[in-house]
Amino acid sequence: MSSIQDMITMPSESTDLPSVEKLAVEHLDVYYGAFQAIKDASLSVGENCVMAFIGPSGCGKSTFLRALNRMHDLTPGARVQGHVRLDGEDIYATGTDPVFIRHRIGMVFQRPNPFPKSVFENVVYGPRIHGIRNRKQLMDICERSLRRAALWDEVKDRLDRSALDLSGGQQQRLCIARCLAVDPEVILMDEPASALDPIATSKIEDLIGVLKTDYTVVIVTHSMQQAARISDHTAFFLLGEIVENGTTSSIFTKPKDQRTEDYITGRYG
Amino acid sequence: MILRRRRRAAIASKLWWGASLLALFAVIAVLLSIFWFVAARGFPALRPAILTTVTAGTSGGLLNAIAGTFLLVISGMVMVAIVGLGTAVWMVEFASSRPRALVRFAIDVLFGVPSIVVGYSLYVALVEGLGWGFSLVAGALALAIIMLPYVVRNADLALSAVPRDLREAAIALGARQATAAVSVALPWAVPGILTGFLIATGIAVGETAPLIYTAGWSNFLPSFAPTHSPVGYLTYVVWTFISLPFTASHELAYAAAVLLMLIIFVTNLASRTFVEYYAQKTHRR
Amino acid sequence: MTSIERGRRSGVSPEDPLVKGLARAWGLQRPWAQLIFKLGTGTTAVLSALVVVLICVFLTVFAWPAIRFNGWNILTGTIWNIGNQYGSGSITHNGYSAEPGAQFGGLVFIFGTLATATVAMIAAVPLAFLVSVALVYRVPARIRPLANALVELMAGVPSVVYGLWGMVVLVPWIGTKLAPAATAHLGFLPIFHGDAGSGNGLLAASTIIALMVIPIMVATIRDVINAQATSVYEASMALGSTSWQAVTRAVLPSVRNGMIAAIMVAFGRALGETMAVLMVCGAAINTYPQNIFQSVNTLAAVIVSQLESALTDSSGMAQRSLAELAVVLFAITVVLNMLARGILRGADRSQEAQ
Repeated sequence: MSSIQDMITMPSESTDLPSVEKLAVEHLDVYYGAFQAIKDASLSVGENCVMAFIGPSGCGKSTFLRALNRMHDLTPGARVQGHVRLDGEDIYATGTDPVFIRHRIGMVFQRPNPFPKSVFENVVYGPRIHGIRNRKQLMDICERSLRRAALWDEVKDRLDRSALDLSGGQQQRLCIARCLAVDPEVILMDEPASALDPIATSKIEDLIGVLKTDYTVVIVTHSMQQAARISDHTAFFLLGEIVENGTTSSIFTKPKDQRTEDYITGRYG
Repeated sequence: MILRRRRRAAIASKLWWGASLLALFAVIAVLLSIFWFVAARGFPALRPAILTTVTAGTSGGLLNAIAGTFLLVISGMVMVAIVGLGTAVWMVEFASSRPRALVRFAIDVLFGVPSIVVGYSLYVALVEGLGWGFSLVAGALALAIIMLPYVVRNADLALSAVPRDLREAAIALGARQATAAVSVALPWAVPGILTGFLIATGIAVGETAPLIYTAGWSNFLPSFAPTHSPVGYLTYVVWTFISLPFTASHELAYAAAVLLMLIIFVTNLASRTFVEYYAQKTHRR
Repeated sequence: MTSIERGRRSGVSPEDPLVKGLARAWGLQRPWAQLIFKLGTGTTAVLSALVVVLICVFLTVFAWPAIRFNGWNILTGTIWNIGNQYGSGSITHNGYSAEPGAQFGGLVFIFGTLATATVAMIAAVPLAFLVSVALVYRVPARIRPLANALVELMAGVPSVVYGLWGMVVLVPWIGTKLAPAATAHLGFLPIFHGDAGSGNGLLAASTIIALMVIPIMVATIRDVINAQATSVYEASMALGSTSWQAVTRAVLPSVRNGMIAAIMVAFGRALGETMAVLMVCGAAINTYPQNIFQSVNTLAAVIVSQLESALTDSSGMAQRSLAELAVVLFAITVVLNMLARGILRGADRSQEAQ
């Protein structure tokens, strides 16, 4: 496990830069029926940062992530309390339309989940439902998004083919492109590489490094190495609570909490 | 001892498997003999004139019945397409668990209601009660009610099977619930929904009991008037004309039977081909 | 508009097509369109649920005078007589009147319905199970699609075509060959004792019904076996059972619920089948069959075969009594459906308890 600590050095430089707060979570509780999945969690994410959530499975990191763009609105029986502020505005305030939230906070899922449509139709799905009809405009958005997702060169000749013909890694980058096409400010990623092979994983990781110049990225990962490689900040979750959060280098090199240290040194499963 | 018991079990096993294969062959043989019976008597009777002329008393052609069958089934289909699909979409996308269970239960009960009961209740309510007389609308409505549970159940199953992560992807891109349903869930579920429609079509084409006292019977081409104008259909010919003591009417009955079988065969084949093609084209996961 | 809707990252101009797009979203995406869509589909769902209620209400309201007039006689009486249409005066009971001599007893039809369906199921259930296991375990994979397609096609054959075949092929065969031989040689058995009849009757009706429900059951049982019993079959074989023992001791118990569901659906179909039964049952009135060959009549068949004569009843009571028979048939099928649900739920619970 010492290898993780070796990896830290690189990104730590950027973390010392002062950054504007993009997302602020204050005293967030999430319940599934009577079960409390997230307990009084608070967190701050800076603009153009990569924030990683780590922790053992079932610790609530995915639940927390999904609270950040109101995905729990869909789950029957799920209840969210507390505040999530995007640029200072509470996304759970009454009268706030979740559609606008999700427009500004995009999401990429664990398994690549392209629609059973063509590559092109996948990318322009968001713009289309948000009212853009002009084929030329859609084509521009498609190309720009695919380029940003580092997929353009691989699919530019087969935009009309089914997205399901792509490989798993390409599908996941397509999903990222699809998310970029609605031009979000924050991108949430729920273990985006866990279903992929190592080569596809490294492409996704490279991509995240590039994306952070334009976007704020929050990523859930089960791999500490991945968190160490790509993130500026890391939060450690355990049993629905945020045990510790700070710069990735500090979490991995000098954790303040014993439980964090136990986890990163491999004493938890 | 054990050895003998084993041997006996092995022999019993062989005998039972023999019986099951025999049962399979017997069922298929009866089916083929029915096909053969219909084909052998129906095709010779199927003169071109039958397809181009209308029924004249107890002889003539079947054009009125063919047109009537298509008109009734298509009209019923239009009614059930809207209501059945809407019901399934509501159940899967919007309903909370109790109302959903209630509607599902009602549909299950409707499955079990004999078609003659549907026909007689519409006779009582529409033909007599509202005074519509034997009519296209009454007949089509009867068929729509017969088709409804098939359409709803298949659409319900198909929509429920849409992967959760596809819906979530759409929602996360800012789609609202109905938008996600129409743009992602419905296209994904098309093969299942279509299967339901085609099964329902086959059933509707072959129905007789619910039509006798709603559509009535007519020797003339359907008038397209919604009410007060009876409509002829193929199954009626099979049922009635075989009991008449004339060779010409028997021929019409056999011709109608073979036409019914052909229509159902083609529907069945078309649905299989399309569903297979569509599934292959879109769902590769 | 809250500032969340307006607030975009600096550097994106308000002329950005996406920003403008959000303001005038795609048709269905607009909130009021969502509401209309939800209300519209909800309305169709209410309509769908109401269909079955309305059928029941229409029939009961229409049959109400008959229900009052007939009392329990509709369930216990044997005689169906629409009365003397040319006589004078009328008879009145519970405030509703019919022609003189009229009585509407439905027991013959209720008996016929249950008898034809039961005899059909006695033959069809074991056959359907045998056919299903043969299809799953013994038909070579290469021709299985063909066999499956044949079974499904068989389920799609219209009931009048079965009736036609029954009338022209089956009934004469029973009437001239089977029934005379059986009554002559096996007359000591009560089911074969007595007059051989014409061939139209209980056996012909039950045979046709069995042929119609077998494919329905096979399709269900086959799917259930494929879905639930592949592993137990292999497990049983691995423990050294013969393949047939694997079927009866491992597969059959694990598909029990599916079997029950299939049997209930088929039984409901058997009770309600109209045209094919009507064409071969002999349409008996006022008599019970004395053996398996003699004429019967069922609730569904009598509604079709008696309506024309019922229309001649100027008091209208005959027509209303037929509606009452329809209510009885409806009630039987609904009760059957409830029963099936109860059995399945009970089975689920006992499985959970284990």
